[in-house]
Amino acid sequence: MKAIKNILIILTVLLCITPSKAKAQRDKIDELRSTFIAKHLDFSSAESEKFWPIYNELHDKRKAIKKNLRQSLKNLPPAATDKEAEELINLENKSAAADAELTKTYNDKLKLVIGAKKLAKLKVVEEEFKLEVLKAAKEK
Amino acid sequence: MQANIKVVLIFIGTFLLFQIEIKAQAAFDSLNLKKAKHYFKTTIFLDSYSKANQKFPKQKATKLSNDSIIDARLGSFGVKQFNIGFYTPIYTRTYYNRDSTVYSNTHYLLTGNFLSIQPSFDSIRKVHTLLKYGLGFRIIQNSGKKGVWFIDIQPFTTTDITTSTPNGYFRMANSFIYSHNYSAKFNMRFGITKSFMWGNRYYLPYLGVRWGKLDGVNFSIQIPKNISLNIPINDKIRFSIFTKPQGGMYSFLNNDSLYYFRPEVKSFNFTHYEILGGIRLDFALNKNFSGYIDAGSSTRSNITFYSTETSKRRPNVPYKVYFYERSLSPTGFLNFGLVWRFGKTKSFFNDRNMYDVFDINNVNSPGDVNSGPGNMEIPIKKSIKQSKLNLEDIQDLIDVTDQ
Repeated sequence: MKAIKNILIILTVLLCITPSKAKAQRDKIDELRSTFIAKHLDFSSAESEKFWPIYNELHDKRKAIKKNLRQSLKNLPPAATDKEAEELINLENKSAAADAELTKTYNDKLKLVIGAKKLAKLKVVEEEFKLEVLKAAKEK
Repeated sequence: MQANIKVVLIFIGTFLLFQIEIKAQAAFDSLNLKKAKHYFKTTIFLDSYSKANQKFPKQKATKLSNDSIIDARLGSFGVKQFNIGFYTPIYTRTYYNRDSTVYSNTHYLLTGNFLSIQPSFDSIRKVHTLLKYGLGFRIIQNSGKKGVWFIDIQPFTTTDITTSTPNGYFRMANSFIYSHNYSAKFNMRFGITKSFMWGNRYYLPYLGVRWGKLDGVNFSIQIPKNISLNIPINDKIRFSIFTKPQGGMYSFLNNDSLYYFRPEVKSFNFTHYEILGGIRLDFALNKNFSGYIDAGSSTRSNITFYSTETSKRRPNVPYKVYFYERSLSPTGFLNFGLVWRFGKTKSFFNDRNMYDVFDINNVNSPGDVNSGPGNMEIPIKKSIKQSKLNLEDIQDLIDVTDQ
């Protein structure tokens, strides 16, 4: 009886410590994206084993850039000083530069793995994914 | 002259390209972003197992034997077991192989477990509480191609805390396994494992075969750990039908005169094993928290008592000459557990080698206990239509600067 009580206490505590809603939502989209890409791009076994680790790494870096920028936008006070505004603009410039460079670096890597044709198709599929998701959300 | 200009131009071109690469790295690094270091989340799991008491089968002995005397002193046998285990990544190294397209990683994990088992003998006045605890270390190397290497070292201590009499043994379980992913649907594993779950300190060959993807329906034979048919229903619920051994080797105090003809022996070894067969249901309440419940039949249940101390005095006989051994008839069991995973991780979607890394880590649960948290971190594929999206979910698809 005492053991059951202890387990129930632990269960309650653990249930209270849940991941943030935003994090869970982003994970959901990431999962769906990867499934969508896998379904629409016919990777061979050899391509698949090399492609996904690289693509996931690119995706993690992109996500980190977006998150950082989004956070800074949220944190900008309504009565921001010139210095604060300048910092935010600088951050946006830096983020855009980093994102552009990631695109170039990882395009080169991914091209070696899946070839130019499939890489181009990947870009198309990524756009299709966005549209599909927007369509699905609209239907709800 | 012309050749020299060509060389200089190539040099400058290469230098400029290199500069761009440096700047690219610099642009990203200058943001000083917080990134996940590991692929593994720190995982803590609680596991509770119980099996009802059973009477010992009556022996057809014409005269009074040691076994029948001990049978009478024990009365019956049942098990209550509680285990808390964990693993946590302490260092993860990720790197590209020479051709810069193969992405490898090495994971160093700290593991630990604390197991309390109460073998319930209804004729013994005081229930013995036996502990098994220890910290371990494992290294998992993902070659990024087809192979995953797994090295596990699990030292632990077993002790009987029924009275304050000092007792206990230090033991070491370990495994060395190579896992080869022929394809996402077919995997084989080979290796060696030293385990105590068969009730003794055996070095056993490890042989594993899996048909089917880890994120889909698969049939897995992992000898000597388990055989299971795994059926994921969705990302929240997974079923499996399994059979696996469970058991251990524990220090047991001789304060009930069980080893009555060697009263000078303060403690001896209690070993037990059983083959469990049943159905397991894993359920996820959210990304970080899941649970499982399994029930079924316990067969080939066996218990033994022997003393290492006594055996040492008899160099010509094997170390495990039992002074008592009994097998019990099949009965039911109930097992349930709670799993809590936390921490930020790198993405591993569709990365079949990483899925294999998770699976090999979970099949070989910490502490040589053979009941672990399951593969709930491996995502199950679902379509956009199945996903119950709402507008909040899709905000990440819109670029921040578009807002």
